[in-house]
Amino acid sequence: MAGNFWASSHYQQWILDRQDLYRERHNDLTVITEEEYQKIIMLFANVIQALGEQLKFRQQVIATATIYFKRFYARNSLKCIDPWLMAPTCAFLASKVEEFGVISNSRLMTACQSIVKNKFGHAFSGEYPYRTQHVLECEFYLLEMMDCCLIMYHPYRPLVKFCADLNAEADLLPVAWKMVNDSLRTDAPLLYPPYLIALACLHLAAIVKQKDIKGWCAELNVDIDKCMDVTKMMVSLYEMWKTYDEKKEIQAILAKMPKPSLSRPPSEATIQDNSQQQQPNQQQMSSGVS
Amino acid sequence: MPKSEESSYPFCPDEGKYEKLAKIGQGTFGEVFKARDKKTKTVVAMKKVLMENEKEGFPITALREIKILQVLKNDNIVNLLEICRIKATPYNRYKSTVYLVFEFCEHDLAGLLSNPQVKFSLAEIKKVMQQLLNGLYYIHSNKILHRDMKAANILITKAGKLKLADFGLARAFSDKLNRYTNRVVTLWYRPPELLLGERNYGPAIDLWGAGCIMAEMWTRSPIMQGNTEQHQLTLISQLCGSIVPETWPGVEKLELFSKIELPKGQKRKVKERLHGYVKDQYALDLLDKLLSLDPSKRVNSDDALNHDFFWVDPLPQDLNHMLSRYNKSMFEYLAPPRRRAPINQPPQAPGVVRPAGHNPDQHFERIF
Repeated sequence: MAGNFWASSHYQQWILDRQDLYRERHNDLTVITEEEYQKIIMLFANVIQALGEQLKFRQQVIATATIYFKRFYARNSLKCIDPWLMAPTCAFLASKVEEFGVISNSRLMTACQSIVKNKFGHAFSGEYPYRTQHVLECEFYLLEMMDCCLIMYHPYRPLVKFCADLNAEADLLPVAWKMVNDSLRTDAPLLYPPYLIALACLHLAAIVKQKDIKGWCAELNVDIDKCMDVTKMMVSLYEMWKTYDEKKEIQAILAKMPKPSLSRPPSEATIQDNSQQQQPNQQQMSSGVS
Repeated sequence: MPKSEESSYPFCPDEGKYEKLAKIGQGTFGEVFKARDKKTKTVVAMKKVLMENEKEGFPITALREIKILQVLKNDNIVNLLEICRIKATPYNRYKSTVYLVFEFCEHDLAGLLSNPQVKFSLAEIKKVMQQLLNGLYYIHSNKILHRDMKAANILITKAGKLKLADFGLARAFSDKLNRYTNRVVTLWYRPPELLLGERNYGPAIDLWGAGCIMAEMWTRSPIMQGNTEQHQLTLISQLCGSIVPETWPGVEKLELFSKIELPKGQKRKVKERLHGYVKDQYALDLLDKLLSLDPSKRVNSDDALNHDFFWVDPLPQDLNHMLSRYNKSMFEYLAPPRRRAPINQPPQAPGVVRPAGHNPDQHFERIF
């Protein structure tokens, strides 16, 4: 299904305004700093990437899942739904939407438990608390919040086209492709159309590879300022990575993260909820007997 | 579920926005209701998403229909207005339900054909087929297969606009080698390549269905009503000739070709068989091209639209005038079973399944 990006819900509803994004984020930013916020979102992009690799997803499915995650928190506080639950839910929904085939619940939950334990021990201590029923319920909220806007356009396809046009499949494409993956750790996918992200990554790749593509760029009919905005976002991401050690710092940041006001672990909470629901029935039954 | 109560969802409106008026159908993944927007009084069709297979989460068929219809916007494709949800309450045992909300169309083609009073002129049949092929041309150029062509899935508004509906089995296709499920398409409209186990199929499967529907415009009931896949292949061979590599090169490579017993020595009789109903030579020629056994030789929607059938007198004529005579909705779901197949005299095939307790006197619901 090729579709038309300009007529899509991605372009019409989900290219957000930077001011909008900051307004929605305002409440969370009273508790944590902007940089800490970005580090949290980055952690969960890494979680989704690891989960996707474990489940042998194509990169396109992983990218879709990551942007679903971003969309949810672009409109909701981090305390709204625990991101540790939202991450696998996004992967689950993306695998269906991208026609990867439905992954069985047990495989998804096993993958969660294993990556939390083996790869994210620095960020999560203890057993992974969520079960299939939580993911299925969370999927409803995710779908609803996105207004069922499911189709996602990614920079990969335009990037491949640009590189073919430039005859740069061998040198620039692999570098730029990795940069597109990195762009999933920034706000860029929420703010800019995919072809601009592809161009910005291509531009950066050309600098890294010291290849002159100025002549090719000069003929493009694009908003160069916006392209430079994306480039700046990418550069500041790479600046941050120079000094940032997720393994050392993330625990302290997560401790500050806004959380839902629940005293019990959610898995227990749900059992509790169920029993509360059943109570009236039991009362009715017993009164019926008496 | 640790979800704070303060957050609100501005997009998905609550289903309380609509009041249900009547059940009008049964789709691939749920019931369909006629309903009215309480505020604007706009009449809509609401399709309930069945959450039967709870392990799968939100059904993939519903996800496909949503994402496909969000992309497809065309005069001849049913228009998805919005998606809405009833919140989980004690009344629905804490299970929320999702509805797809569509523009309302007054009739479906199966319902119209089952009413003997509704008569289509040749020019009006041309208009139906032109719109049908136009819809197929649009979805196929967007790389979507419908995979459930049948008269009940062809909606017609009282203004005579035709809309392809029910994308519950639809999916995107590519030109690469594929392995799709061949368990699609209602048996009577299923093309021979699917019946023989082909999994790398394409848009031609929808054009076979278009051919069956076109013939039905004259015969008034489905032309090949098989009971089983084997029986369906027999009926197809009796109409379109024996399925052999001489007329369909490569058919011998299909998985079930050697496993199923196919009638031998049958001559192709599409034009002869249908001649009793269809007098127009151009119509017979187009039918012959749509009902081609070999999918690679079957006419595509673009070429079909260029066929002389649509470009010689009488030219296609709008249906609004003819339909203005009827002030009742005609849906297959609400109509009595149609007469048995006229052209292949099948043995006692089971009728179209009706919901139990259906009152045969209430054929058509009064709608407008």
